[in-house]
Amino acid sequence: MIKRVIALTLLAGLGLLFLGLLLDYRPDTDLNLSARYYAERTAPDLGAANIVTAIVVTYRGLDTLGEVTVLFLSATIVGLVLALGRRRGQAPAGLAPVGELLTTGSRMLTPLILLLGAYVFVNGHLTPGGGFQGGAILASGILLLLLADPLRHFSHGLISAVESLAGVFYVAIGLAGLVWAGGFLDNRILPLGDLGALFSAGAIPVIYSLIGLKVGAEFASMLASLAETEEL
Amino acid sequence: MVSALYILAAALGAAFLLGLLREERRGLAYGLTLAALGFMTWVSATWVWAFATTALPPVEIFTAGTPPPFAINLRMGMGEAALTLLVNLVGLASALYLKETLLQLGRRAMAVLLIAIMALAGLILTRDLFNLFVFMELMAISTAGLILLSADSRALGAGFKYLIVSQVVSVLLLIGIIFAYHVTGTLNIDGMAQAPALLATGIGAIAAFLILIALIAELKPFPANGWALDIYESAHPAYGAIFSAASGAAVIFAVDKVLPIGGAAWLPVATGVGIATFLFSNLLALPQTNDRRLLGYSSVGQIGLVLAVVGQRDVLGEAYGFIAFGLLVSNAVAKAGLFWLSGTIEQRGLTAWAVLRQRPLALFAFVTFLCVLVGLPPFPGFYAKWELARLLAGEGRMALLAAILLGTLIEAGYLFRWFGYAIKREPEAAAEGPRMQGAGLATGWNRALPIAAALVAAWGLGFLWGDLSGRGNLLLALPLLFALAFLVLDWLPAWVKNTLAIGGLTGFFLLTWQEYDPLRLIFAAIFLIGGSVILLASYETKGRRIGFYPSAMLMYAGLVMLIRATDAFGFFAAWELLTLGSYFLILRGKHSEPHALSYILFSLGGAFAILAGFALAGQGAVHLPLDGLAKVAEPLAPWVFVLLALGFMTKTASVGVHIWLPGAHAEAETDVSPMVSGILLKAGLYGFLVLLMSMGSQRLHGVELTHVLLWIGALSALVGNLMAVFQEDAKRLLAYSSIGQMGYALFGLALMNHLGWLMAIMFIINHYVYKSMLFLSVGGVAKRTGTRDMYRMGGLVKLMPLSFIAVLIGIIAISGVPPLSGFGGRWITYNALLDSEVRLPIVILFLAGPIAFLYLFRLIHTVFLGQLKDEHRRIKEAPFWIVLPQMIYVAVLLVVAVVPGLVLRHVDNYLDRFFPQGGLEWTGTVISSNYGYWNPISIMVIVGVIFATLFAWLLFVNRRAQPVKQFNIVFSGERPFRPETTHFAWNFFAPYRKALGFLTTPLATRFWEGITDLLHNAGDLVRRLYTGNGQTYAYHLLAFVVAVYLIRLGA
Amino acid sequence: MVDISLIAMATGFVLILIGLYGALTNGNLLRMIVAFTVADAGVNLVLVSVGYMRGRTAPILDSAVPAAEAVARIIDPVPQALVLTAIVIGLGVTALMLAYAYRLYEAKGTLDIAKFSELKW
Repeated sequence: MIKRVIALTLLAGLGLLFLGLLLDYRPDTDLNLSARYYAERTAPDLGAANIVTAIVVTYRGLDTLGEVTVLFLSATIVGLVLALGRRRGQAPAGLAPVGELLTTGSRMLTPLILLLGAYVFVNGHLTPGGGFQGGAILASGILLLLLADPLRHFSHGLISAVESLAGVFYVAIGLAGLVWAGGFLDNRILPLGDLGALFSAGAIPVIYSLIGLKVGAEFASMLASLAETEEL
Repeated sequence: MVSALYILAAALGAAFLLGLLREERRGLAYGLTLAALGFMTWVSATWVWAFATTALPPVEIFTAGTPPPFAINLRMGMGEAALTLLVNLVGLASALYLKETLLQLGRRAMAVLLIAIMALAGLILTRDLFNLFVFMELMAISTAGLILLSADSRALGAGFKYLIVSQVVSVLLLIGIIFAYHVTGTLNIDGMAQAPALLATGIGAIAAFLILIALIAELKPFPANGWALDIYESAHPAYGAIFSAASGAAVIFAVDKVLPIGGAAWLPVATGVGIATFLFSNLLALPQTNDRRLLGYSSVGQIGLVLAVVGQRDVLGEAYGFIAFGLLVSNAVAKAGLFWLSGTIEQRGLTAWAVLRQRPLALFAFVTFLCVLVGLPPFPGFYAKWELARLLAGEGRMALLAAILLGTLIEAGYLFRWFGYAIKREPEAAAEGPRMQGAGLATGWNRALPIAAALVAAWGLGFLWGDLSGRGNLLLALPLLFALAFLVLDWLPAWVKNTLAIGGLTGFFLLTWQEYDPLRLIFAAIFLIGGSVILLASYETKGRRIGFYPSAMLMYAGLVMLIRATDAFGFFAAWELLTLGSYFLILRGKHSEPHALSYILFSLGGAFAILAGFALAGQGAVHLPLDGLAKVAEPLAPWVFVLLALGFMTKTASVGVHIWLPGAHAEAETDVSPMVSGILLKAGLYGFLVLLMSMGSQRLHGVELTHVLLWIGALSALVGNLMAVFQEDAKRLLAYSSIGQMGYALFGLALMNHLGWLMAIMFIINHYVYKSMLFLSVGGVAKRTGTRDMYRMGGLVKLMPLSFIAVLIGIIAISGVPPLSGFGGRWITYNALLDSEVRLPIVILFLAGPIAFLYLFRLIHTVFLGQLKDEHRRIKEAPFWIVLPQMIYVAVLLVVAVVPGLVLRHVDNYLDRFFPQGGLEWTGTVISSNYGYWNPISIMVIVGVIFATLFAWLLFVNRRAQPVKQFNIVFSGERPFRPETTHFAWNFFAPYRKALGFLTTPLATRFWEGITDLLHNAGDLVRRLYTGNGQTYAYHLLAFVVAVYLIRLGA
Repeated sequence: MVDISLIAMATGFVLILIGLYGALTNGNLLRMIVAFTVADAGVNLVLVSVGYMRGRTAPILDSAVPAAEAVARIIDPVPQALVLTAIVIGLGVTALMLAYAYRLYEAKGTLDIAKFSELKW
């Protein structure tokens, strides 16, 4: 009881702070300094139609690299945490057989899901979506397979190879920007092309594809690690 | 130089590449990890070198080919370069240290380590607020990962607690960032800092609050830091090193760069949070028994201290970097070293560190790290502390300075207590027997190397900071170098080192004696020549005597530097050096652990008072010559006087702050007792001389301060003598007598007249001679009899005649009866008293005189006269080397008794400068004052004749006396429960105790014990706050945030 | 009329407070994790609500929003970029906490946070 009262008191304090923010908040009517720059300069400078993508991949590319690293780190640590505690047990028996319907359905759907994921990240510089979204879709395909067949073992080697290669290439492209263009992660190491075309916006689609693969691989590896802990 | 981005890219690239290696290729993966960390270190090092050697301005690094604030930018300046170097080095060394663990856990763990170091470097380099958030999250997550390196199963719980807290922190930070962006239209830190008006009110102010409080929360402020302590306690020590040395440094740098967005109003907040954290962490560390948790508390406290300094940057000006970095690297190097050391020790109790005694080098590293942490010379923290005190006092921020010094004192308390355990206690028995191989020590080259690197870095940084300080590098001072040389020569046999030491002391005196004025010459002679004479007794010790010579020479170096110092800084540095050296010396005694601790605490407390006094006197001036004290004006002057006098009183063991002395002097080794008594105590008197020469007499609230000193001196004389009377232990008796003697000397100085000072000088010389002599003879007796209790001795006069002569001469000299030099002292004393107007203290002083007779009589009577004890029938005279200096002293006493003018005359003339009136007349062998005359030679002759006559008469009267056999009856058939109570020498002065015993109630001891108990109990009580429940820690964090917000609103 | 962004923002704040309340009052590790994801969702909602501007459209240039008119037509793209990062980071932390919770459960057979307090004082 006392715990709740204290919690409520503390949160009331925090709520007061939030209330201050809320009451004084006035939405902008014009784009501020940074937003205006992005609205005006993205197309001519970077050649990307999706301004959010331009910001995510290029202007704030270091954040995104960090973000990918967060996922990588989480996946690695999840693997580490679970590997440390793993008991090498026998595959549990007595599992109800997977039905025909489920097997066929998942087999049919998975390639489509993977294709959709790839589409989302390849077009990230043009349409809503991008590497993270596409990667998450890729991983959902893996999730489907896992749900359909909980005992399936994925090749950690393959997943981690994809993950690593994508990461290494990402860093390499970033450094290429440092050497051949204006700075780390500058997308202008490749031609900018025409605004709105698939092959445009310099290195952005390449980077976003790498991110898509990497994110997909990381989620997949987390899912696989978590799935292997299941005590059936 | 390559771009700083390669630091980040190398770590990431390597971390990703590790995934391509097969799980079995762990050696290769480890090699790759080391290579990446090595490369990162190299990049930082080239930048540090470039900034240090050329006037390179900070380099802005753009990403995405777009200028800030539209793209993320990084900055590489001197600060960034130095800190990334620190972070990368700690990472590299820890990776080395973690070799076995990493190879066992595989590439995943290596990747996490690489990313952790990268995140810290990013935190330092980035200038973008949101990017800062990303790096902070990376740091938090990698922390949660690296905790898993620990074999301690509780680490898992600690990691989860940290994740809870970091979730709350990131909520606050994100909300703050987005609204700050809304208000300023930028995410660039510098861009935000340039729009202070926007962030000063309304939404902007709340946003700035959320951002800053979230960042500060990552610094583990009190009380929202329970999670950090749990991590420190349970994490792998190599990670503890990273967490303390690298993470702490990186986050505080981040706070430092983000702080400007809050404007000037945030500086006091930072200071307040920092100093509260510093004080409470150190308080809570007092009751700790787990080494790593103790280090955790200390780390948290040190970062709090740096935060307090960050909050003072408006007044620190150009010295800001020097101070903040000085404290930061001190903590980093020391903590990294200590955590690494803790990894070589199997058990977690503080006494378990006693296993270090098997490895002198590791022990040396241990003590180096402790001194670095406390900020003792010649390490960076010392210079930083001095500048900090100087500038804070210059701005009148004395309360903050006092809090900092108090916290440092508490920290010194638990750190040196720990050192005492390591030196003196036995390690707890290991849990299982067979593991005793290597006796609780686990080392390999990969563990020794990082520790050695930290050790080298500590000394190197000490040199660097000395160089940067612009105050003369202590590590280039000849006396200190001489002392340090003994560290290198410690493998030599003791007699060789002893010869070197004596040669060094004497040689230095011969080289420099012409440089001193007569007053300083006396001190120089006592310190150097006197020190050499005492060192003769050290020839008695065989073997290598590891650690003795560096300590002793450190003390002598400090003493010499003290009298050679011309400015306040030099004086203070020397003061701390001699304190440190003497502490190590005292600690060598068999049972001296608690006494050494109390000594170092009182001394450091005194030293901090001196520091505060000098800082107050200097008022921010860069240089404060010692004679500049004379120019300090009202209303500061009396306070400066009080602070300095307090500091010096701790060294002269004046009543009230005397309680360390008896134990420290009595328990010290035979040849150490005379050093710390006969020589070391004079440092305090020298301080008083300097103080009174420059500042003279001061009045505070109408009270004449020298008058107060007069009282303190008189009371010290009375209490010291009285306590000495009731001791059973001969060395304790001598120790208490020192308190009394120092009281006399202080009294003389405080009289502030010519003869008073002359008397003090006389006491300084005499006390050195007879106290050294008595300690040596009593030490010799104790060595032969195996006890220091006087009632266990008796009748030793025939067996140890030379020691008897020394004691006889000594007590004649000390008691001030004719014909020896003590009488001269008394004669001058009485003349001085007649010259002054004060009355009551004089009565007390007179009363103290006869009391001295009581204990001196007891000393010679119960030890040398009376009946010989059965078990002592076969003992021999004390060893030659212990007797030799005593005989030298006997000769000196006799010579001085006959021709006191040899020395005093010059001093007397010199004192005319200060007190033209009331000097003595020196005509031939006769010395005359306003009140009478003294002819030492005729006194000697008269006393000689009387003595010879009486002796002859006694022989004549007793010519038929027959010796009676001893040892017939001891207890008359009874066996008493406590046999010693039947001995006449037990409780020798019982009637006096009945009459005067109330004066010896240990009021001071009770007072100080009460204070330490209070601190301990308070620490023990407050630490219950950390319940260990991760949820409670979230409450603490929120409560901290809300409390700071309310305080801010109120302000 | 109340702006939609204010409603979203208020909802976000309420979600944060609800989430934190849940995390502070539930002793079960899994419930705490879920509570934090609620708070994270609130934070993300607040983030996007700050970038919203009435009457404008998504910051994607196409035939509907030509580059020349972008300044007048699109909403602030920055919070959208930030929220993406924030979501992903929150997800990473959640996954990590889940893995930790699993191991903690494995070690002690309980999910009560009060049982993991061997380290204290």
